[in-house]
Amino acid sequence: MNNIIDLKNKDKAASSHTKKETLLEVINLKTHYPIKGGFFRRTISHVKAVDNVSFSVKKGETLGLVGESGCGKSTAGRTILKLLNPTAGKIMFDGEDITNLRGSKLRQRRKDFQMVFQDPYASLNPMQMVGDIITEPIHNYYPKKKSREIKQEVLELLNRVGLPDDAYYKYAHEFSGGQRQRIGIARALALKPKLIIADEPVSALDVSVQSQVLNLLNELQDDFDLTYLFIAHDLSVVKHMSDRIGIMYLGHIVEIADKHSIYKEPLHPYTQALISAVPEPDPKRKKQRIVLQGDVPSPENPPSGCPFHTRCPMAVDKCSTITPELKEVKPGHHAACILVD
Amino acid sequence: MAELADKTNLHIKPQKRMSPWAVARRKFMKNKLAMVSLFFLMTISILSFLAPYITTADISRVNIGSMSLEPSAEHWFGTDKSGRDVFTRLLYGGRVSLLVGISCTMLIIMFGTLIGALAGFFGGLVDTMLMRFTDFILNFPLLVFVIVLNAVFFGKLGGVPVLIAVISVLGWGGVARLVRSKILSEKENEYILSAISIGSRPSKVILKHLIPNVLSTIIVQATITFAAMIVVESGLSYLGFGVPAETPSWGNMLSASREPDVLQNMPWIWIPPALTLIITILSINFIGEGIKDALNPKSLR
Ligand SMILES: Nc1ncnc2c1ncn2[C@@H]1O[C@H](COP(=O)(O)OP(=O)(O)OP(=O)(O)O)[C@@H](O)[C@H]1O
Ligand SMILES: [Mg+2]
Repeated sequence: MNNIIDLKNKDKAASSHTKKETLLEVINLKTHYPIKGGFFRRTISHVKAVDNVSFSVKKGETLGLVGESGCGKSTAGRTILKLLNPTAGKIMFDGEDITNLRGSKLRQRRKDFQMVFQDPYASLNPMQMVGDIITEPIHNYYPKKKSREIKQEVLELLNRVGLPDDAYYKYAHEFSGGQRQRIGIARALALKPKLIIADEPVSALDVSVQSQVLNLLNELQDDFDLTYLFIAHDLSVVKHMSDRIGIMYLGHIVEIADKHSIYKEPLHPYTQALISAVPEPDPKRKKQRIVLQGDVPSPENPPSGCPFHTRCPMAVDKCSTITPELKEVKPGHHAACILVD
Repeated sequence: MAELADKTNLHIKPQKRMSPWAVARRKFMKNKLAMVSLFFLMTISILSFLAPYITTADISRVNIGSMSLEPSAEHWFGTDKSGRDVFTRLLYGGRVSLLVGISCTMLIIMFGTLIGALAGFFGGLVDTMLMRFTDFILNFPLLVFVIVLNAVFFGKLGGVPVLIAVISVLGWGGVARLVRSKILSEKENEYILSAISIGSRPSKVILKHLIPNVLSTIIVQATITFAAMIVVESGLSYLGFGVPAETPSWGNMLSASREPDVLQNMPWIWIPPALTLIITILSINFIGEGIKDALNPKSLR
């Protein structure tokens, strides 16, 4: 159960994703948080948490979204699920523009996209029994369903994520972090969604538990025909989960390609630095570790030109003036760097 | 996994032992001071509300034959200057004081929670407008208003219900602010995002997710409000602007001590209401402290 290395070697989507339908498409998405200040609490500036992000996810595939803490991954995930309102851009889900959906129309659509949250402690209501937590989504969309039927369904979901029947009447504080994350997964599954955004689902867990939860997510993907947007802050977790990987830096996607291309021939200097930081299982294959200088700049006041130029080991003068576009360098391999051709 | 699903057992029973409320109740029961206070408060309340069955004396009839009597077997706490039995008036007074306290507290908590929750959850324009309104209410001088009202309507518009209404309508501002700030921080938790994501309506998010999680603060605030409202009632009545003089209340009884003669020579008239008032206020505060300790949400996470 602990071995997750081979799970994605089926390579189901990497070879076939070109002909599959697109489930989610994000076009030039921006989410800026206003910063209020001063005597009248006016908006004095913006945190550009997500700035001009575009990508798409095909049905059945997993797109990994990787970036350092604070680069806007959660904000991107929440905006796509319309838990935050985008500042600009477009979100297409299953062929429908959901960017401006509101009220009951939006609520109706939410059934198809769910989220597994980052913090197993804050993501479960401490006042609710686990049974109620998982019943609530079903009840919201099928209010006429018999409670006996719902209970049967909830118990099956609990078992499916590896929890015993008696979890039904327990409270979140009676469970460990890994078990809580399973409860969160069961809640997200309850509506049989098409897309699940998993926001660093294992980063708060012990290493020993991480692989179990990742395995579970992988199994569920096949059983429930799920499409994942899998958010993580390091490449080693994403490696075993994703078909394609997008690299985020300071609210921008700097490189996006299928998993093998990212690992074998990373194009963007930031990706290269991230890859050099992944621990090498084979000690004989020594590699040069690229250590980035300096801190991540504040998204409130991002650098001009390429957002990465302040820390880039290869930066040239032009980098501080020209903002690089994300362009297709090789088939299916996009990078945003003026030095890459 | 399929075999597991078939074995699911619909007959498992709830085991309430570990519910956050059950945990808190156990913790509260271990708090001796709070339990003693609860006992006192219950005793005072029960005696007051059963007053007609405990004493048969008439509370309002002036009895010239027995004015200002010292405590005796017949009149346990003596009689006041109009010859009315102090013990009887103490019980009936408790009824009024506690009733005013409880009614005001309930109305204030309900209204304050409603306004605070709406402002905190929706934010933006709703928040701005509701908070402007709250500031207005908070800055309204309650005491001056009550005194002016009394002067204008002099007796025509008196009585306990009017007092309750005035205090409640002008008293919810602080609760609204407190609840709003609690809701603002509580709604940052991911379980609120999750509730929206699984399709719960705003009303459900507020009632099922937010309110239960800020309820501990609200309950503690309710005990503080309860004590404060009893003090407000007593203070106003003492000054002659509260409950009408012919209705007994602890504050009305205390106002007899404004006469130096009574204050110095007839302590049995004012010591019983004063002591009862102090014990009641202290009990309520200790109960509040106990609830606060018992409901400490940190112990659940
Ligand atoms: N409500 C908010 N108001 C203002 N700024 C915010 C808010 N939420 C997040 N930010 C800022 O937006 C940026 C992106 O935050 P976000 O939570 O999306 O990052 P993240 O990539 O998910 O990080 P982590 O790995 O720590 O979860 C950060 O700089 C953060 O400080
Ligand atoms: Mg995050």
